[in-house]
Amino acid sequence: MTTLAEALSQPFFQKAFLAGSIVAVVCGVVGCLVVVRRMAFLGDALSHAMVAGVGGGYLVMKLVFGLEAHAPGMILGALFSAVITVAMISFVSRVSRLKEDTVIGIIYCGVFAAGIVLVSVFRNHIHIDLIHFIMGDVLGVTDADLWISAVVAAAVLSVIALFFRSFQVAAFDPVLAAAVGIPVVVVDYALTLCVSLVVVSAVSMVGVVLVVGLLITPAATAYLLSDRLDRMMLLAALFGVTSVAGGLWLALRLDSAGGGAILLFATAQFLAVLVAAPRHGLLAGWRRRRRLVPQQVVEDVLGSILRAGGRPIALGAIAPHVHADRSRLVHALRNLTADGFLEGGAAGWTLTEEGTRQARRIQRAHRLWETYLARAGVPESELHRRAHTLEHVHDEDAVDYIDDLLGHPETDPHGAQIPEDFVHLEGSASVPVSVLRTGWRAEVVSVGDAARSLGFGAGELLTVLPRRDAGATWVVGRADGTEVPLTHAAADAVMVRVLATGSRPPAPFPPQVG
Amino acid sequence: MATDPAPVPAIDIQHLTVSYGPRPALLDVTLSVEPGRLVGIIGPNGSGKSTLIKAILGFVPRDFGTVRVFGQPVEEARGRIAYVPQRGSVDWDFPVTVGEVAMMGRYGRIPFWRNPAEEDHRAVAEALELVKMSDFRKRQIGQLSGGQQQRVFMARALAQGADILLLDEPFAGVDAATERSLLEVLGRAREAGRTLLVVHHDLATAARHFERLILLNQRLYAYGPPAAVLSDDLLEEVYEGRLQSLGPRRAPGGGA
Repeated sequence: MTTLAEALSQPFFQKAFLAGSIVAVVCGVVGCLVVVRRMAFLGDALSHAMVAGVGGGYLVMKLVFGLEAHAPGMILGALFSAVITVAMISFVSRVSRLKEDTVIGIIYCGVFAAGIVLVSVFRNHIHIDLIHFIMGDVLGVTDADLWISAVVAAAVLSVIALFFRSFQVAAFDPVLAAAVGIPVVVVDYALTLCVSLVVVSAVSMVGVVLVVGLLITPAATAYLLSDRLDRMMLLAALFGVTSVAGGLWLALRLDSAGGGAILLFATAQFLAVLVAAPRHGLLAGWRRRRRLVPQQVVEDVLGSILRAGGRPIALGAIAPHVHADRSRLVHALRNLTADGFLEGGAAGWTLTEEGTRQARRIQRAHRLWETYLARAGVPESELHRRAHTLEHVHDEDAVDYIDDLLGHPETDPHGAQIPEDFVHLEGSASVPVSVLRTGWRAEVVSVGDAARSLGFGAGELLTVLPRRDAGATWVVGRADGTEVPLTHAAADAVMVRVLATGSRPPAPFPPQVG
Repeated sequence: MATDPAPVPAIDIQHLTVSYGPRPALLDVTLSVEPGRLVGIIGPNGSGKSTLIKAILGFVPRDFGTVRVFGQPVEEARGRIAYVPQRGSVDWDFPVTVGEVAMMGRYGRIPFWRNPAEEDHRAVAEALELVKMSDFRKRQIGQLSGGQQQRVFMARALAQGADILLLDEPFAGVDAATERSLLEVLGRAREAGRTLLVVHHDLATAARHFERLILLNQRLYAYGPPAAVLSDDLLEEVYEGRLQSLGPRRAPGGGA
């Protein structure tokens, strides 16, 4: 077994590392486009199809020009077979009802099979070792391979750098690309050509089967870490080089095939990033979920502190009202404090302004649901338990609907005050008289049809008096001392701006967030 | 243009027929939209709303008819039209930021060998400001809410400098607050002189959102102010039409 230091002094190893890195960089960059375009399978297809092209190119150069193993001839052959494959795939997809992945599978296997037959039939003329072709041999890289991959890399990288924006927008939104005058079909063919070139230059090192891995694995690793395509390309190139370095080291340590070792390392690298990526990784997701406190626990905590009526309340007094173990409760309290809903002191926890607001929203929902359940005939013993479940349905529109359905009750079946619809009372919003509470004063803004006959005028001052008929009739007092009874429909039709909220001081709630 | 003494229609469609098979998607549609209008396109599913948009973009082959944009054939006026795709058709995981998406609207003007110029950056900044997305320019687009995503694509259309904006179902699947903020953005774009055509599915809100409506179901049933277009007779004809057409097929057996 050789050590890495010894290996690095060997020319064959230096050459392998250099050639491998060049190929990995360009594979990584092109692979990014392959990944975001969801073309991975096509990359696989192209690498297989080129066996036929390489064989064909070899044969033509030998039989026509008498040149043995002519590299440019084989590359042209490979490109030719790639173009034929892509053209056939798009033709068959168009004329048949088959989905594209099936068509790709059919065509590339067909072309690959043709290549195998060709190479084996002409085995006396074509001196290609199929196994070498399929497995690759990164440690046996020749000078010619090195030169070819350098030229291909330079060409492909220049094209992508120059036309980066075209590739980016054609991949992201072909409709827009066309609309701003980018020839999408040309860009697509250019990309296919780049993929073919890259695949051709990589096959001699990692082989037909694994080349797609070199193309997409470093790119996919970078995808997990990037929010921008250009940075993803840089990272993919880096991961490509680390794959080659790590893979070659593995190959030496284990005395294994180079291509396999490189891809094994690349895959391990991918899995490590998948687990540990800061934002999209499994660990980060798991940690996020652990930190997440169920909404129900949050609401129970807020409710129990609100019921304490402004006095600080200790952890032990909150716990009986919340269905959660102690550590989760502590966690919830800490989160709520961080979010600005709670303040913790020596004597216990109190609600902030925003916390009070949220808690009252929930209380309103709870008490309205209780009233609703009582009307629906639910026995009193079950009211609280059922309402406790339903209070978590506190979407503003849903609760307002229930409120209206019940005729805007002021108290719940236990006689407790139901918080008013304060969300709609913010600032100088105009609201119907029906949502106001007894003792409030308001100024008329507009009057709808249902209350037209009552003669209210805009700007008129009203005082809300206690309701009659078990809350079914609203009563307002006018400035001249007369009292006007209103039906629910009429009370809905008189829109007012609240001036003073009688008993309670006007609640200075901050603007609603979310 | 706004200064043109005799206003050329922003979009002028004459006898447009488009088909994907034996049944035409659009049949003999003739329509002329004045510049600076906020127009809703309504009609049942499969009524050709998206096809009309694609025809104005010049993306579908026409069987017959012409589409002119500010008097020019559509093929020559592509730069003047911007398209806001349906949310479902975008790959939200694509590694691209808000700022980059908006900049894509400028790509048609930037030669491939140059970086975006000062002017391009300014157009993008203004567009993002108009849709109130300036604070999000470094965000990857998948990390935005539905309404924010729509606004980014609005910004891209605005940055493109197009005079006509085509939007495909921008209000699909967004909540009421988002709908309001999007409408505000549409209104501001219109005030800035843009013509907007918006595919819309919700008849209940169509009258409130738009000054003109196009009622489409393969044929053009009406184009005009909402009050005129949303008449019971017309809606019944367009929306119930297909149910009624099933009637005769069942009828022969019953002899009715």
